[in-house]
Amino acid sequence: MSKLKMLSKINIRDNIIRYFSFSTLIILLIFFSSQHVNFLGTANLRTLLSDSAPLLIMAAGMTSVLLLGSIDLSMGSVCSVANVITVMIINQFAPRGASPGLAAIIALVASIAFGAASGLLLGTVHVKFKVPSFIASLGFMSMWQSAALLITPAPVSIARVMRDSVEWYRVVFGVAGLPLILAMGWVAVVFAFQKKLALGRAIYAIGGNERAARIAGLSVDRTKITVFAVNGVCAALGGFFLAAKLRSSAPTVGDPFTLLIVASVALGGTSLIGGRGGVLGTVLGVFTVAVIENGMNFIGVDPYWQSIVFGLFILAAVAISIDRSARGLVVK
Amino acid sequence: MAREARASMSITEEFAAKIRKDNQKDKIIRFAPIIVLAVMSLVFSAINGRNFASVSNFTTILNQLAIPLLVALGLTFVIMIGSIDLSINGTVGMSAAFLGVLVMNSRNGMDLGLAGVLLAVLASVAVGMLIGLIHVHLKIPSFMVSFAFMFICRGLGLLSYQGRPPRILDPVLTEIPRMSFLGMPAITWVALSVLLLCIFIQEYTAFGRYIYAVGTDETILHSVGVSVKRVKVMVFTLAGFCFGIAGVLGGIRLGQGDVTVVGTGLMFPAQAAVVVGGTALSGGKGGVINTVVGVFIMTVLFNGLVIMRVNPYIRTGVEGLIILAAVTLTVARGAKVISK
Amino acid sequence: MSGQTVGANCVRPNTIQNERKLIFSAKDIHKHYGATHALKGAGIDIREGEIIGLVGENGAGKSTLLKIIIGAEEPSSGSLTMHGKLYSPRNPMDANRAGVGMVFQEQSLIVSLTVGQNLFFGHEREFSKFRVINWKKLYKEAASALADVGAGGINPRKKVSDLNFATRQMIEIAKVINVTKGASGEKCLILLDEPTSVLSEHETRNLFEQMKKIAAKGHAVVFVSHRLDEVLEITDRVYVYKDGEGVGDLLTPEATESKLYEMMVGRTASGEYYQVNRQREAQEEIMLEVKDLGLSGVFKHVSFQLRRGEILGVCGVVGSGKEELCEVICGDEKPTSGEMYIKGKKVVFSSPAHGLREKVIMIPKERLAQGIIRTLSIEDNIAISSLKILSRNKFVTVKSVRKQALEWISRLRIKTRGPRELLMRLSGGNQQKVVFSRALASKCDILVLNHPTRGVDVGAKEEIYTLIRGMVTEGKAVILLGDTLDECIGMSSRVIVMKDGLVTGEFAAPPDGKPGQVDVVSLMM
Repeated sequence: MSKLKMLSKINIRDNIIRYFSFSTLIILLIFFSSQHVNFLGTANLRTLLSDSAPLLIMAAGMTSVLLLGSIDLSMGSVCSVANVITVMIINQFAPRGASPGLAAIIALVASIAFGAASGLLLGTVHVKFKVPSFIASLGFMSMWQSAALLITPAPVSIARVMRDSVEWYRVVFGVAGLPLILAMGWVAVVFAFQKKLALGRAIYAIGGNERAARIAGLSVDRTKITVFAVNGVCAALGGFFLAAKLRSSAPTVGDPFTLLIVASVALGGTSLIGGRGGVLGTVLGVFTVAVIENGMNFIGVDPYWQSIVFGLFILAAVAISIDRSARGLVVK
Repeated sequence: MAREARASMSITEEFAAKIRKDNQKDKIIRFAPIIVLAVMSLVFSAINGRNFASVSNFTTILNQLAIPLLVALGLTFVIMIGSIDLSINGTVGMSAAFLGVLVMNSRNGMDLGLAGVLLAVLASVAVGMLIGLIHVHLKIPSFMVSFAFMFICRGLGLLSYQGRPPRILDPVLTEIPRMSFLGMPAITWVALSVLLLCIFIQEYTAFGRYIYAVGTDETILHSVGVSVKRVKVMVFTLAGFCFGIAGVLGGIRLGQGDVTVVGTGLMFPAQAAVVVGGTALSGGKGGVINTVVGVFIMTVLFNGLVIMRVNPYIRTGVEGLIILAAVTLTVARGAKVISK
Repeated sequence: MSGQTVGANCVRPNTIQNERKLIFSAKDIHKHYGATHALKGAGIDIREGEIIGLVGENGAGKSTLLKIIIGAEEPSSGSLTMHGKLYSPRNPMDANRAGVGMVFQEQSLIVSLTVGQNLFFGHEREFSKFRVINWKKLYKEAASALADVGAGGINPRKKVSDLNFATRQMIEIAKVINVTKGASGEKCLILLDEPTSVLSEHETRNLFEQMKKIAAKGHAVVFVSHRLDEVLEITDRVYVYKDGEGVGDLLTPEATESKLYEMMVGRTASGEYYQVNRQREAQEEIMLEVKDLGLSGVFKHVSFQLRRGEILGVCGVVGSGKEELCEVICGDEKPTSGEMYIKGKKVVFSSPAHGLREKVIMIPKERLAQGIIRTLSIEDNIAISSLKILSRNKFVTVKSVRKQALEWISRLRIKTRGPRELLMRLSGGNQQKVVFSRALASKCDILVLNHPTRGVDVGAKEEIYTLIRGMVTEGKAVILLGDTLDECIGMSSRVIVMKDGLVTGEFAAPPDGKPGQVDVVSLMM
């Protein structure tokens, strides 16, 4: 009897988690469109959707990390460094009259290489030296913040002759812009990685019970390091997209994203202690965050409210999704 | 030879030898911070000569020390119970902002004077307590709760003055940064008195014992009937108090209640100072005195780098490296250790 | 195998003992944990100044009884009295107040605090004025408390981390005596659970001296140990437990090791129960060979060969090193000495994943903590050890995972609504079958079974035995750590015995010539 009761309680909780972001999203859409008729207009929807592309890419990466039960607080600053590198490389080509497209591709490759290297390094420090991921990534966050400022202390615009290298960002099909389509494609890649690849299945097992996963013969260390490396690539792609979106670089451009990323994944129903959730939930979470951000601007709410609202949303989402049923659970 | 000796050892002896080795390592770690500090001071003196090793530079160091010390003190107790507080930049900034709008200022008609100062500190105390309560009762990991509160507090601070930071006009408060006693600025004196309070709490109260116990093994507290939850909430509240004082002093020193200035760049040096001082992230080890050494290490390091005219942007990077190195050296290892 | 009633209740303590005042008594204590009946009418009487030994196999009910006496567990039925009054502690603090204290196997000292601070941990108020602790007063009292247990040489201002284990053990005892005495003012009862397991020979001597001093002051001590020589040396009287029942007590001078062995071995199930008729002779091929294997501080000089079709039982008490041996073999721990060969090829495993590649897998002892993954479904739980087999170009399809799960669900008759059900919703026995399915699906041919029948009901146990027999018939090789000694002997075709990290004996166990439990136990303790 008591077991039955416990199970039904779990069922209810699972359902709340599953529909939390979805219902929040609908309520928000209704609320904002009731406040302002043009909220769901094509123009605003287009901005809303294409603005959320960088966040979508980065949150997709963070989903795997949180599924492991780890966290990467350095994403924002990796994004900043990639952003700075991208613009720096594109501008290097300006005086030589190189093709903007080629410059963009070289910048992209360099950003991805940097992101992968940073993720590999972070994963290795976390896994091999057993440094908890939040503190290891905190160390990396401060190192990369510093690095971005050392590369270019002030914002830099992309040279006028090279503008074509980022014009892809403004290609639009209906309400969905090219950036959003590319980001959704990337989400599909991450989805395949998590659900179809042998390595991705290991993520869920490790997040659920790392000790059992290890004894069952999964390569825990390799999986974790790979996830961090992929996540680094996601952060770098975010930085590349931001450079295209803003047509410029800023050494602190990624800083505010750490909060938004965590908020998106948490709202998307991925358990922050690992093992449960997935990237499809994160897509909903990202749109919820984007609607809140955009909606609040649209109806003229003080922007200072935003960080308060997202902070509270993280707390609420975590409070709902966390599993407190284990006996003798020690939470630090 | 050594291998033969080991082969002839009994299993109990092997075990005892292993424990002895661990203890030795512990002892080295206990004294390492003070040695690092001494070596660093010598190196900087050798490179920079009188620019570094002078009374006036020592006073500068004491000046720079005040606010980082306060922040690190609050964080020390949190780390000693094995938790973490990432809210620092938010809480400190918030109490500076609240101070700005509550005392006589350039933005509104408020003029609460000392009551304003108290309210600003209280706000931070309340946030600390709330972090503790949510962490303990909803069983959310402390890094997550405090991470959310960093942004909530920052938002509250910005909201309180609607974008334009208030200049502090209170005649008493504007005097404080210029006041000094026995050659040391008043602000440093305040920090030192909070330090004494923390030492007192750690060394002379039952609560101080309980902090060590929570970090070592929570079941020890259950067996003597002390509430672990209460100890944890009190620790976060105490941290809130330290951050509040730091925020108020930061606001007073700047003459402005500016969230983005006062509440910036405090967290990394504080984390670095605590871990470099020898307080283990796993909890139960270290203490306030360790943190004092750690804060000195960080302050002397940056003071030395400034004298050497090193690019200031490198500062946060060095802090990150120090955090990584200190944690890597002290963290528990082994194939079966799980770190998330 | 005789065993069942040998020596039970045949020796009663003589009347001289009865003249001492009774401190504590327990009568007809029962304890149920779900389906398991851990204590079946246990009783114990303890008098002033006595040192009582408590012996029995693992799982005989000793620790459950201790937990009930200290208030950590509530008895299902039965009564306890302390100093003649009814005694029903709800937690260890209640017990302390009534004069009962216990030194647990895991030390409860806070190493970064001083001796004195530890002694009065949780009692600081008694030394405080306006919440400020008077250290001088506390350390003075601490010195006298230490002197009370004959450990006056310990400086109460020293940090615990600077002291050795024996000294720490004395501090634990002083702490326990102090909190218990402080409350009631009467003679107290001290429970010591395996206090010598981490001590060296010399340190153990020291501890015994102190125990005698404590007893001389009129306190009573209960000493639980697997080391019978120690029990015979230090105690006045010994209680023997078996299968949750007290089989009797005898005065130590009248006891011998062999007498105790006979009393403590469990009842023997029939050969049919363990399907001994299905036991086959091992094949020639050597699947695994370990030579002089060792893990620093835990075990050493372990050598054996494991053949195809063989079940090798490893017997030993908790702390004998047998579990760590399993961990080393499956790759979870790296050995510090010795070599391992799989089918003649030398291997050094870096992780269980590496072990899996060489076709070695372990079914862990703690199912909840190490076996199952709560957040995953049955099919995913089964698949995690066979992802390589299931994957094509590194991709794994849901279809192949489900097909595999359906196959094992029907082969092992796992009771479930379907492969997508969450594993945590199954009963213990069915969860264990899923863990077995995982190991079998991995196509490993060396299986390390660490307590495979732990916490499953009788019906599931039988099915698991059938399964194990089937595995070796198919040509796998098994290392088995049984949940009971009987199971280990009954299932295995060969048994090695470990004690204090060393192999103390090896028995062949053919179907018609199983070694006696007494013979095995005498090498274990």
